[in-house]
Order: sequence, then C-alpha cells, then structure tokens
Amino acid sequence: MGFGRRDYPALAHHLVDRADDSDSDHVRWLNQNLTRRKTEAELLVSPLEEMFALGRESIATWIKARFIAKFYGSSPHPFVVALQHPSRATLLGYVIEHQHFLRQWVRSCAYIMARTDRPEVVHYELDNLTTEFGGLGPDRVSHYELLLRMGESLGVDRARVLGTPPLPATYRAIEQWNEMATREHWVAVLAAMHGLELIANRNLVDEGASVHYFDPAILDGTEIPAAAQAFLREGYEADVEHSDEALALVVRYASELDVVEDVQSVFLRSIDLFDDYLIARLERAGQFEA
Amino acid sequence: MKRNYDGCAICNSTWGNVWEEVEGERMFFCCDRCVVQFRGLLRRIEQETRWERIDSIEIAGDRRGRSCRAASGTGEGRFEFAFNSDGEILRFRRVDPPTAPLGRTGAEPS
Repeated sequence: MGFGRRDYPALAHHLVDRADDSDSDHVRWLNQNLTRRKTEAELLVSPLEEMFALGRESIATWIKARFIAKFYGSSPHPFVVALQHPSRATLLGYVIEHQHFLRQWVRSCAYIMARTDRPEVVHYELDNLTTEFGGLGPDRVSHYELLLRMGESLGVDRARVLGTPPLPATYRAIEQWNEMATREHWVAVLAAMHGLELIANRNLVDEGASVHYFDPAILDGTEIPAAAQAFLREGYEADVEHSDEALALVVRYASELDVVEDVQSVFLRSIDLFDDYLIARLERAGQFEA
Repeated sequence: MKRNYDGCAICNSTWGNVWEEVEGERMFFCCDRCVVQFRGLLRRIEQETRWERIDSIEIAGDRRGRSCRAASGTGEGRFEFAFNSDGEILRFRRVDPPTAPLGRTGAEPS
C-alpha cells in the first residue's frame, strides 16, 4: 500500500487498522519494529518518523543498521547461529532451499536491468549474475554451481536437489520478491535484493554485527567438506563488494530519482521475507537430522 | 490455565482481536498465527509429558527462541521451542524432565 511522502500519520492509521483486523503480518511488523502494546495511531507517528529518519547518515548506513538489528543483533538469526559450525543437515537445508532462491535472484536482477536506464547499473547486474549464476568457465564456476557441488559433497545429488520443491515459506518469499521486482521502482529492488548480500558481508562486524555469517575458521581444516568451503568462501569473498557496490548505487540513485522512502519500505519488506526464508533453510535441515 | 501474560497467550502482544477456546478456556491472541503456535505448543508438551491437561504455563523469550515452564497438578517441566513462519513448531526440547511421573496428571511425587 502506497502512502504520500512523509505521510506517517496515514501509515500509522493503516498499521493500526490492519492490526485491529488481526492481520498477522501487520501485527508481526508492529510487534517487531515498534511496540507489542496496542497504541493509538497518533502515538505511532513519532516512532515511525524516527525509524525512517536518515539524519546525517546515508541510506546505505540506514540499510546496514536495519539489517544488523534484524539478523546480527544480540540474538542473531537462528540460521546464522547454526551456520557458525554447521552440521551436514544445516548445509543441506541451505542447498535445497537456496537453489530456489538463486533462480529467483536471476529474475529479480533481470527486472532491474530491464527497468533501469543507467548503464553502470546494467554492468553491475551483469557482473553479479555472472558470478552468481552464469560462471566464467570451468576455472571460475558460478555460485549456483558451487552450491550444487556442496550438496553432492554431502551425499545429495543435484537431480534430487533440483527436483525438490521449495518449502512453503521459501515459495511465498520467492513469489513476493518476484512481485516486488515487477512492481517497485528499480532502485528499491536493487536495495531489496542486493541488500540481502549483506548477510555474508564480513565487514559488518566492524559496524556492530555480533558475529560473522559463519566462523571463518571453518574455511580451513576438515570440519566441513572442501566443496562446502568453496561455496562459503565464494560468498565470503564476493559479497563485501557485491553489497557495498550495490549500496553505493542505491545512495546515488535513490537521492537523484527521489525514491528514498520507497527504498526504505521495500527493503524492510525484503528483510522480513529473508528472515522467513532463512528459517525455511532450518526447517529443511530438520529433514536431514538423524 | 494460569499464564504469565496479560496479552496474547504466546507473545504477550495486545494488538489484534482474536479470541479462541483452548482447552476449554476462551483466550486472547493477537493473530491467527499465534493461535496455531499456542495450540501446537500445548499439544507438543502434552505429547512429551503425557499430561492430560496443563494447569499453568509461563512463557519467556522472543521470536528468536522461547522457553516455558509448564505445570500439571504437581508435575512441572521446562521446555525450549521455536516456530516456523507458519506458526508450526520448528524446534522443541525438554530442558529438564517433569517432576511428576509421566502420564499421571496431578500425581504426588513418589
């Protein structure tokens, strides 16, 4: 639902109205972001203004702060906790759900390319898609291929991975990311999708994240298979650049095209979907636990 | 059923307006997802302990992971749990065994 610029009173009334209808998504958003105590709409206006205010910071700093608060606060996301020293089941949950995510990733990035008129954005997406999905030949295979190889190294062949439908939460998230990509401004989609690459950005600990995506020590030694190390190392090395470069584009174009609030609201929706999707990885992992 | 929350039975939120009968008692919930969570939690505790009813439940924690202390008669148990995005139980484990013999609601400790 769209609102006028800085029309926080209308947003507050919308949230309260939907909560009065016991809509789970709106109640959850209020519970997690503002307060669990039922409040008059007028009293939510100021907290909403504060939540969306950039102050002297850039939109990139705001995005990172929201991401850290959601996934890397004092109680990190349960999937991140599980990935610190992952079991075979955790890694297989990752493989099976993530191949669906990456296939949607291609579609979302393609929509950004189709809808932007900025060559540097097209170049960025082409490079990202090559790394994530296309690959650069046998010596530099894609992240998608590394994911499938990780599955094989854990005893699950790619035919089984590719033939397994997504769990409902993954399916819903993918559907909504797809709809987002077709409807929202391309700068907002850029932030909503590439902002998610912050999950593996190892520099977030310097900006307040409580832990890394995984304990970097697992990239050495024999705790996990070499193919799993290769997959995780790729994200560990690539996602700093991917996410930072995307956020630099967001900073530039959100301001130039005057879509800062669109970027903020779409990004918040995207990280809620990502939260559920990461839980789906754990749910899938449960199917592989002894 | 005695509870420690005055709001929604599972998350203590006072948003929403869902009233459902659970184990013979009309209870307030903020949304349908929390109804699914609460019913599933009680069912799982009863399966685990073989209690026929739960007299009290005290819940702590947040969406990242919750714990509870439940009692039936003189029996008591502590549990940790988490839900998936549909409100179904994702993780559940008994932290310590109930103090009452399994399957004998209200039994005195032997």
